[in-house]
Amino acid sequence: MSTTEFESQNILPLSKAAKIAWKSIRIRFLRSLLVTGGIILPIAFLMYIVSSDALLSNVKELGSVQLIEQLRMEGILTRLADTDAKIQTRWMVGLALLISFVGILNAMLMSVTERFREIGTMKCLGALDSFVVKLFLLESVFQGVVGTTIGVALGQVLAFGEGMGIYGGETWTLMPAAQFVRLSGTCLLVGVALSVAGAMYPAWRASRMKPVDALRSEI
Amino acid sequence: MTNDAANGTGSTELLATHVARTVSVRKTYHLGGEPLHALQGVDFSVTRGEYVSIMGPSGSGKSTLFNMIGGLDKPNEGRVYIDEVDIAALNSYELAWLRCHKVGYIFQTYNLIMVSTALENVMLPMIFAGMQQADAQDKAVYLLGKVGLGDRVLHKPVQMSGGQQQRVAIARALANSPAILLADEPTANLDAKTGQQIIMLLKELNEAEGVTVITATHDHKMLSISDRVAWLRDGRVERIRRRDELEITEGHADAKH
Repeated sequence: MSTTEFESQNILPLSKAAKIAWKSIRIRFLRSLLVTGGIILPIAFLMYIVSSDALLSNVKELGSVQLIEQLRMEGILTRLADTDAKIQTRWMVGLALLISFVGILNAMLMSVTERFREIGTMKCLGALDSFVVKLFLLESVFQGVVGTTIGVALGQVLAFGEGMGIYGGETWTLMPAAQFVRLSGTCLLVGVALSVAGAMYPAWRASRMKPVDALRSEI
Repeated sequence: MTNDAANGTGSTELLATHVARTVSVRKTYHLGGEPLHALQGVDFSVTRGEYVSIMGPSGSGKSTLFNMIGGLDKPNEGRVYIDEVDIAALNSYELAWLRCHKVGYIFQTYNLIMVSTALENVMLPMIFAGMQQADAQDKAVYLLGKVGLGDRVLHKPVQMSGGQQQRVAIARALANSPAILLADEPTANLDAKTGQQIIMLLKELNEAEGVTVITATHDHKMLSISDRVAWLRDGRVERIRRRDELEITEGHADAKH
């Protein structure tokens, strides 16, 4: 029982785990779609909020004199000072993310429960607990990356669409590329972190399953 | 009962040839506070290259004994040796190693990974063992050929019949050249003819390759080809019969088939 064998077991099956996780998503496509949808919406919301906030707060520095004057007349700039509304939207974003987290947790728990035999079988074949953990975390990361990417894109479309209505053609100058990348990156990170966090407990539970469960002939 | 005594007091020179051995194994489960004595002092050993069947009604402790021999469960009292390794002394890593290298499992419900092809299923234990992808693939193709599925290497479980799935499972169980092939009711979900074919395949592997086969079964077809049959009742080994004794005392069981 040399340690090298265990080391190789930790490196080699990662691609295998990724492959199995990917196929598991495809075979449960509809449920994966629901989970992914549950990530898309809050992340789109988050992206929309941070983008439109950024656009508004950039107006004073980057906007033309005519635009600032026009916005002041329309009373839109007073929104900058409205801290109550800001706190309220933060709460809503937070709640949306929390609901999404619970959704992921629930879906992954279901995925673990219905695959008890598959997990037990893998453990009978010599899978380490860490392999089972990887399997479920990867599955969730895949869903998270796909869902978040779509969510970020959707949020941007909404924020810039709304921006076009308010700031007209100047919208594009109000968001410097660096800030745009930074905001999108942050949202992407939040989404993936959410997926991993939601899958942690289910993955741990799966890894603790006993191999003897594979022998049970009924659920 | 004389057989039991002989098994319990196995002399030291015999031990080296024992691929699985239990010594006064006791196992008690607690279900809702009520203790359930699944095994009440079982001494049982299996010699390398043997074909052994364990029979017994449900609740006899058959499954528990079977799980112990497979390294899936630990006893409360007594010792279980697999290839002369005391499983009680192993941590979870070492147990995973043991299951990977020493025991090949065949399940009643085949338990193939549904999303993977036959080839990938057979390769999986070798990947777990740290074998290189190319070597694992070559061996998997060879093993699938040996169980008669050379032309279905890239089929998925859903595209195969029960008998074919069980053949894939047998190839998978053989992947890391285990010391024991452990089959839990391998024919229970198959029709009589396919079941017979699976039994013959197991027997063939046992005779040609010297693989030790241990099965838990209700299937009387299994009796006639087993080297030894152990009957369990109420957590104890009721009797053990060699095949030659079987044909005299339990001839009617054989005559059925």
